[in-house]
Order: sequence, then C-alpha cells, then structure tokens
Amino acid sequence: MARVLIADDASFMRQMIREIIEPEGHEVVGEATNGIEAVDLYNELSPELVTMDIVMPKRSGIDAVKSILEQHPTACIVMCSALGQETLVMEALQAGAKDFIVKPFKPDSVIATITKMLEKAD
Amino acid sequence: MALDMAKYRLIFLEESTDHLGEISRALLDLEKEMASAEAIDTLFRMAHSIKSMAASLGYDAVADLAHRLEDRMEGVRTAGRVRSQEELALLFRSLEALEGMVEAVNREEEPSLADDQLLAQLAEQGEDGADPGAESPDPVGGEPKKVRL
Repeated sequence: MARVLIADDASFMRQMIREIIEPEGHEVVGEATNGIEAVDLYNELSPELVTMDIVMPKRSGIDAVKSILEQHPTACIVMCSALGQETLVMEALQAGAKDFIVKPFKPDSVIATITKMLEKAD
Repeated sequence: MALDMAKYRLIFLEESTDHLGEISRALLDLEKEMASAEAIDTLFRMAHSIKSMAASLGYDAVADLAHRLEDRMEGVRTAGRVRSQEELALLFRSLEALEGMVEAVNREEEPSLADDQLLAQLAEQGEDGADPGAESPDPVGGEPKKVRL
C-alpha cells in the first residue's frame, strides 16, 4: 500500500482518483492543483507515488515531473492523460515518468497500472 | 468497482459552470487583446478540463465540442493570437453552445449535439495553426485537414 500525492487542477479528477485508490488501501497524503504545488508537496511529503495531470496552470505536469526527478531520481510518477495528448505523454515518459493512465478513468485499469508500478518499485 | 456518478454529475455542474465563467472572462480579454497569452492558455485549459469531465460521465456531445474547442485553441496558441474577428466570434459561439449543454445537464436532460456547422468551423484550421481565413500559399499541394476525435 502506498502514500500517494494527486496532482490535478480539477477537483472532479482528484476526487475520482481518490475514490478509486483509497478502497485499495492506498493513502492520499496530499492534493496539488498546479505544477508548482506538485513539486512543493512532493518535497514536503515524500510520497511513494504521484498521479500527475499534464495540463495544469502555473507549471505543467511535464515540467513538474522534470523538476521532481531532478531532485528525486527514483520518484514514481504516473501521468494522467486525455485523448489527443500522445505527444505530451511520450515527452513525460522520456522525462522519467513511469507510466500513464488515460481519462476517462477506468477504475480497474487505474488500479492495475498503480499496482504494477509499485511492484516494480519494490 | 462502481463510482457514484450522481455525485460526479454535481461536481461536473459546479466545476464546468466555473470554467465557463473563466472562458467568458478570457474571451472578453481577447476581445481587447487578441494576443493575450494568459487568456489563450486559460481558454485552452478550461476546454480541456470540461472535455475530460464530460467524457468521464458519458456526456459525449459536451466532450466532443470541448475537444474541438481545445484543438482550436491549440492552433491559436501556436499562432500566438486569435487570428481574426471571425475566429473570436466562433469562440464566443462555442461558449454559448457549451453553456446550453451544461444547462441541459442541470435539467437532467441529455445534452444535444452541437450543430454541425459550428463543429466544422472549429475544425477549419491548418495543422500548423495557420490563419484559417488566410489564403494558402500552396492551394494545390496542401495536406488534408485532420481532426482528432
């Protein structure tokens, strides 16, 4: 079970991820609403996993991934992408994100992706 | 596992109403300054967010229109400005259509599809973000226009 940071500017999406992962025993330790907050909260909370939206205000999810990985090379980050963002997803993966989940979220798929990532990280 | 979609419908109504307000303010800013990077970015992000929420709830008409608007704003962002008064008017019409759809959701009705002309006009832009109203320098050899669905 993991301590998770959720980064998404939409409360809708943050609540949905929380509702999907908490019954699996994961603990949501923080929620960030933009890329700057995501980096700050990562430094403060040291979560074991981050779900990172790509399109966010102030600083994009991709910039936040790069910043987090510069300071914490083993950070476990999964990108949350939407239709038409294939290029951005590739950029995030090249920057060091471990995997991605696609909106609209399918709960079983989200859980499977997170479980796989955490197993690899062990 | 099943999510409580009634709860998310209410969150959608609250957030999309806020987002439409932000789109409205951004358009008013663009009316004054067609190259306002902040307004262009806001409009892009709000359309993107409405698309994702609507798709999660199966409001396909809303998701489709918001997606077309997001794609259009990608072109505007590439160009660095809203490229004509006609384009600005098109963005205002898109806002109006999205507002109508969200009102339908609020009445617990299925939102109607946006009219075909609006969707087609939103899709009318070069992939490189070129001015859709401008004459092509190569009218014979241009690539066909592509719309992501």
